[in-house]
Amino acid sequence: MSELELLRIRDEVLQAMYWMRSEGLAERPSANDLATFLAVSPTTLGAYLDRFAEEGYLDRDGELFSLNAKGEEAGKRSFADEFADLTRPTHGECDADCWCHSSPEEAARCLEERANVH
Amino acid sequence: MSTERPAVLPKNFLRPCLLLLLREERAHGYDLLERIQSLGFDGSDPGGLYRALRGLERDGLVRSVWEPSETGPDRRTYEITRPGMEELHATAKGIAAGHETVAGFLSRYQEFVSLPRAKSLLRSTSSTPR
Repeated sequence: MSELELLRIRDEVLQAMYWMRSEGLAERPSANDLATFLAVSPTTLGAYLDRFAEEGYLDRDGELFSLNAKGEEAGKRSFADEFADLTRPTHGECDADCWCHSSPEEAARCLEERANVH
Repeated sequence: MSTERPAVLPKNFLRPCLLLLLREERAHGYDLLERIQSLGFDGSDPGGLYRALRGLERDGLVRSVWEPSETGPDRRTYEITRPGMEELHATAKGIAAGHETVAGFLSRYQEFVSLPRAKSLLRSTSSTPR
């Protein structure tokens, strides 16, 4: 497995654990809980969880795993990074206070500028 | 042998349902998990909801931002995008067309067998103004 693929899996696991925690669904899920949540094999995921615990992202208590400070920070950051490009306004979208709402001409300029960004 | 079967819903029905809930108001995950139950889901699959939200976000149909929480970690709050509204509208039109097809099917089937739930469906269909 490439280092890049491993990073992707780590981000995915930490993001899911962060989301479960922030929504009050699970503070310390088991490998089975996480596997069900992510719809992946518990056997495969279990090996990754052990590795991420060794790398200092997760704390392990028997069968249960929890995010420590490093894991929580990494999960939150990668969550934001993954969707950073998607959370910007897209074509035809802009903020409610955008200057383009002042006139049809400004709106046309705004649209053209946003189109040229891509 | 029991012939009881779960309701037949359109494929990937969770996606338009989430778009509809977010069209009503922006929300975080747990809120959606509770409100989705009003649309026929039992709310027992938070992982499915999480994966659906990620898929919608990757497709640009919803977006999410951090919202500070007073009681715990910051949460992701989701809102529908303009492409999401367009997707929801297109899906709703498809469902409406399918609804008429299903109503026709049930009407013909009920020439042989009475279906209590189907009767109420047909009543609501025939009384709905166009």
